[in-house]
Amino acid sequence: MKDRINRRDCLRMLGYSGLAAGLSGIPGRRLWAQNLGESSGFQSSVISASKIEPRGVNAVFMDGQVIQPQRQLPILDKTDVLVVGGGPAGIVAAIAAKRTGVNVTLVERYGHFGGLWTGGLVLLILGHIVTGGKQVCQGIGEEIMRRLDTMDGAIIDRKPGANPTVDAEAVKYLMVEMIEEAGVRVFLHCWGVDAIMDNRSVRGAVFESKAGRQAILADVVVDATGDGDVFAAAGAEFEHRSHNVGLVSRIGNLDRIDSQKTPEGQKPRRLGNPTPVAGVNWVNLTGPEVDGLDLATLTRMEMNHRKFIWKNMQKTRSIPGYEQVYLMETAPQLGVRITRVLHGLNRIRLDDLKANTKFPDVIGVGGASNAEHKEWQIPYGALVPRKVDHLLAAGRCVSMDIRMADLVRLIPNCFVTGHAAGVAAAVAVQDQCPPRKADITKIQKILKQQDAYLG
Amino acid sequence: MTKQSARFLVRATVLGIAVIILFPFFSCPFLLSLVPAMSPLTAVASLFTVKKCSMAIGIGLILGGLVALRHRWFCRWVCPTGLCMDGASVLGRRLGYRPMRKGAYGQWFVFIILGAALLGYPLLLWLDPLAQFSGLAVPVASPFRLAAWSSVIFFVALLFLNVFRPNVWCSRFCPLGAFQDITIWLPCRVRSRLRFAPKDNKPLLGTGRLARRAFIGLLLGAAGACMIRLFHSAGRRLLRPPGAIHEEQFTGLCSRCGNCIRSCPAHIIQRQADPGDWAGFLTPVLRFEKDYCLENCTRCTQACPTGALSRITIAQKPNIKIGKARVDMNLCLLGEDRECSVCRRWCPYDAIRYVFSQEMYMLVPVIDPVQCNGCGACEAMCPARPHKAIVVAPI
Repeated sequence: MKDRINRRDCLRMLGYSGLAAGLSGIPGRRLWAQNLGESSGFQSSVISASKIEPRGVNAVFMDGQVIQPQRQLPILDKTDVLVVGGGPAGIVAAIAAKRTGVNVTLVERYGHFGGLWTGGLVLLILGHIVTGGKQVCQGIGEEIMRRLDTMDGAIIDRKPGANPTVDAEAVKYLMVEMIEEAGVRVFLHCWGVDAIMDNRSVRGAVFESKAGRQAILADVVVDATGDGDVFAAAGAEFEHRSHNVGLVSRIGNLDRIDSQKTPEGQKPRRLGNPTPVAGVNWVNLTGPEVDGLDLATLTRMEMNHRKFIWKNMQKTRSIPGYEQVYLMETAPQLGVRITRVLHGLNRIRLDDLKANTKFPDVIGVGGASNAEHKEWQIPYGALVPRKVDHLLAAGRCVSMDIRMADLVRLIPNCFVTGHAAGVAAAVAVQDQCPPRKADITKIQKILKQQDAYLG
Repeated sequence: MTKQSARFLVRATVLGIAVIILFPFFSCPFLLSLVPAMSPLTAVASLFTVKKCSMAIGIGLILGGLVALRHRWFCRWVCPTGLCMDGASVLGRRLGYRPMRKGAYGQWFVFIILGAALLGYPLLLWLDPLAQFSGLAVPVASPFRLAAWSSVIFFVALLFLNVFRPNVWCSRFCPLGAFQDITIWLPCRVRSRLRFAPKDNKPLLGTGRLARRAFIGLLLGAAGACMIRLFHSAGRRLLRPPGAIHEEQFTGLCSRCGNCIRSCPAHIIQRQADPGDWAGFLTPVLRFEKDYCLENCTRCTQACPTGALSRITIAQKPNIKIGKARVDMNLCLLGEDRECSVCRRWCPYDAIRYVFSQEMYMLVPVIDPVQCNGCGACEAMCPARPHKAIVVAPI
């Protein structure tokens, strides 16, 4: 052992101690400044050092008002078809458009696909059958179902005339797989906030994210936001509706109920329905009829519903035999059912359903929750806004008579309108025309090639 | 051509037309109503009961007037039931059976019907042969219920009766035939007073004690009607087809012809076969198991020959109450937080709203008693099993 430490030894020792500090997780002082992009091995790498976000474009407080100054937005992507919203309609629209042969970009506000189906825990697939049990939802929607069939623990009750129930995580996984296979460009965590307009034509959309406000340019935009955020921003005519806003939850240990201990007449009714996960049920909540776009309302709904769900579970647990049942999770996403409804070139109407109307521009056939209706055709005009061009709606916000809302908003019917919107957008891009002038026979032909059922 | 074969030809034609009208080739409710409405007896009894004239009653009354001109021409030239009975009688005679010699039960029936009709409850109107003939078509509409075959059973029984006692129905029991006997009797008396002997001056069948029979019969009918109206029908409430007159009179005025059942496109009208309700036995009641009383249909009211279902228009229909829907939240899918809006969507009158109950923290269907006319769309479509959560109850 030497009494004196030379410079090299000193450095080496300091180096080891730094490494040890890193390994043991003790936050030590950083000894060396890291270079840009260089990995430190155990800590994050510096993406941008000593950064100050550019000033002068922020909102400013002026004369008691908040003013957003004009600014240029970075263009994130240029594409043929832009699908805003990655719910059942958006996913199917993106895959359909890509398969028709155009470039597709999909943006989704959450970190997963499926929208209310997965994030809202709406696990029951209602609405793909009509009277007699015939399944009318085919095409990509049915392809998703078939692929869920092949996955372990992904879906139950998949039999003719029945309403299957899926597992949200399986769906989230499958969506990733299918989107990647299709080759769709995706931006998650991207909240569509504005439409990019060129007179009455939509040229793309603006997104807000952690990366700030950015634009994506596209020839045709498919609004699969559910709330019609894009068509509202684009100035299309719509109807603003109130509907029930609820919150779904999942409860566990249903297989540990000892119903023999339960006194007569005390059996709880609000225990939901089985899911592919053993002992776990999903529990719907309808909620009051409110404005699903109002921030204060949405906040109140979230808080009230959570309080109710928790207290209701305590009540359930107090019933003899039900002590072990527990609240597993509440859905990350509030169950907003209907908000904006497009005024399109045509409408899906209950009278047409009752009269069994056939449309020459049929692009899909809808079903009902419990097969209590006959087949009803969906006209292409229901997806096309009246005055705004290069924009199509898909999903629950398509043009309809409000009495059809509870059918139109069902997952399989969103698959159907999404499929049609995707194909129509691709056809419009390929033929270089606005979607309203797209060749309907060509759209129908491609839809049929993609196994869609058109009646 | 002999007169007899001409008569046969005419009756066969009438029978053929009636069959064509009744069976599903034509389904015009007005034509349907013509078959039982040809009976002047039904017309007179209906007029007494509802105290207003309709097209169907008018037709019956005109024929009734003509019947008074010549004895039983209706039986001999028109009546399709009579032709069938004659066929059976011919067979019976060939087999050597003898006709019944005595009994004017038909006249008793007529007086009882008329006496009761004067008090607003025409008892025994269902004995009208044309109403029963019309009822033969009911199984076309609902073949799987025994009650629907009632007219067929009755008719076949009469045919057998006519084989063993030839002509017994037409000459002894038929109230329509007896009605013609009675209507010819009065002009005969008048004409004999005026020294104009009628052409066929045969002694009229059993008119000997007509006055006494009339007195007792009318009295009996009136008493019976009183009893039923006071004691049986009071307070009873059933789901009747739209436009049905008050329950108290309905069970009497309904001739059980089954035209409403036959004309209903939704097949929701059935014969009431509850043995407890003997006064309303075989009358039409509504069952909303599969379908409902369509908002754009008034066919049953057009097909009714007696006015038991008064004529209504489609514009009036929303205000004509069949019953009122009621929800049982213990059965309703909304009570289980299931996603269901079927009754609200199907209600043709927008009478159902889903109101959020803060207390129960769930949606509760609330029925607007003004808008709801009890059409049963909600009940028919309700997906709750095994019992429907929303049902129409009589008011």
